[in-house]
Amino acid sequence: MNTDREFLEALRRGDDAAWEEAFRLLYPAAFAAARHPLAALTPAEAEDIAIEALTLLLPKIREIADFDELRPLVITIASRKAISEKRRQLAEKRGGGDVSSLEAMRENESLRFEPAEQIMSRLNAGDLRELRHLLDKALAGLEPRNASLLRDFLLNQLPYKELAQKYQMPAGSIGVNLSRSLGKIRIHLTANQKLWKELNAFLR
Amino acid sequence: MDIDAFTDLALRIIAGEADVDDRRAFEAEMAADPARREEFAGLQMTHRLLGVALPMTEAARATGPELPAYRINELRTAVRQHFGPAASRAGKSRSPFLVLRWIFAGGAAAVIGAIMVMILFSDSTVEIGLYRTDLMRGNNAALTPESVPAAKIVAFDADAPFDQWQTRPLAWYQRAKIWVDNEHDLLHIIRREQNGQITVLTQPLAESDEAQRQQIEQAVNGL
Repeated sequence: MNTDREFLEALRRGDDAAWEEAFRLLYPAAFAAARHPLAALTPAEAEDIAIEALTLLLPKIREIADFDELRPLVITIASRKAISEKRRQLAEKRGGGDVSSLEAMRENESLRFEPAEQIMSRLNAGDLRELRHLLDKALAGLEPRNASLLRDFLLNQLPYKELAQKYQMPAGSIGVNLSRSLGKIRIHLTANQKLWKELNAFLR
Repeated sequence: MDIDAFTDLALRIIAGEADVDDRRAFEAEMAADPARREEFAGLQMTHRLLGVALPMTEAARATGPELPAYRINELRTAVRQHFGPAASRAGKSRSPFLVLRWIFAGGAAAVIGAIMVMILFSDSTVEIGLYRTDLMRGNNAALTPESVPAAKIVAFDADAPFDQWQTRPLAWYQRAKIWVDNEHDLLHIIRREQNGQITVLTQPLAESDEAQRQQIEQAVNGL
C-alpha cells in the first residue's frame, strides 16, 4: 500500500492482504493488552483473546478515520475481553464448588474487576491516547530507577521482597519510593481534571 | 506518624503486603486523623487507575510476539465472512475505462466470442472442497461423486492449496463452491445468485459424519 489512506481504503473494501498486514501490525498490542495483569491469563488464553479482539475490529473499520485509531481500539477490546474471561473462569470455579482455597475466595471478589471493566468500557481511543501521553510524561518525570520500580510493581506485580532483591534496596524503602512515585504521577494525572474526574467516578 | 510512614503503610495495605500489626497501626492512624482518609483514598485511586491503565498504555508500545502463523486462516475466514468473497470486493475497484479501452482497441470480437462461451458454459459448476482423507473414511459417511452428482469434488492433500482454493474468487464457470471448516465447525457456501451477485452463507456444521454428508447434499441440491 502506498499511503495510509490507500491502506485504510483497502481495509474498508475487505482486501485480504491489507487485513493480513493490519492483523500482523496490531497483534502485539492486542496480545499485550490481553495479558493485562488484572486478568492474569496464560499466554495461550491471551492469544485466543487477542485473535478475537482482532476480528472485532472488522465492523469498526468504517467508523475510523485513521489506521492508528485501530491500535487503542484493539487494546481496549482485548483488555476488556481478558477481564471478562477471568471473571468467567472464576465464576466457573465457583460453580464447580472450588472455593476451598483462600486465594480462590479472594480472587472471586468481583469488586476487583468491576472498576477495571467500567474504565475499559469507558475509555475511547482519544482517552487512551491522552492517558498514555499523561503517563509517559509523569513516568519521564521520575528517576529512571523509580519509574522501573513502579512498572515492576504495577505491571509485573512483583511483591516487595522481590522488588527489594531486584533493586538492592532495603525492603522498608520500597513502599516509600513507590508511594512518592504514585504521588508525583497523581499530580500529572489531575492536570487533566475532566479525564481524572471521569475515571475516578468509576473507581470509587 | 509522618506522611512518608503513613503512605508507606497505606500502600502496603493496598498492595496486600501488610501484616496484622500494620493493619492495626493503619486503623489507629485513620481513626486518629480524618485527613488520613483523604490521603488514603487518593493513593488508592492512583494505584487502581494505574493498575488498569498503565498495562493498556504500555500495550500500545508492544512489538512482539508476532501473529502466530497457524491463526492466520481463522482471521482470513473472519474477513471473508464479514466482507463477502474476494470476487465481489475486487470487482468494486476495477476501472470501467480499462475495459472500454480494450474493446475499442479491437478486442470486441474476442469479447463477443468469450461472452458466447460464457453463456454456454457459465454458472454450471458447483465445487465441493475436501481433504482427501475425508474421502477415504471407512464408514459409509464419506461423500462420493455419486451422492452429489450435481457437484464436482475437489480433493486436497495439504492446507496451502486448500486455503488457496477457498480464497480464490468464484471463476466465471462456477456457480458455487462449498467446503467444510472443521476448525470452527462451519459449512461455507459461496454462490453466484441469478442477478450475478456473490453471496456467502455459513451454516453450523452438523455433528456426525453422516449428518454432515446429508447437509452437503442438501446444500448442493438447494443451489
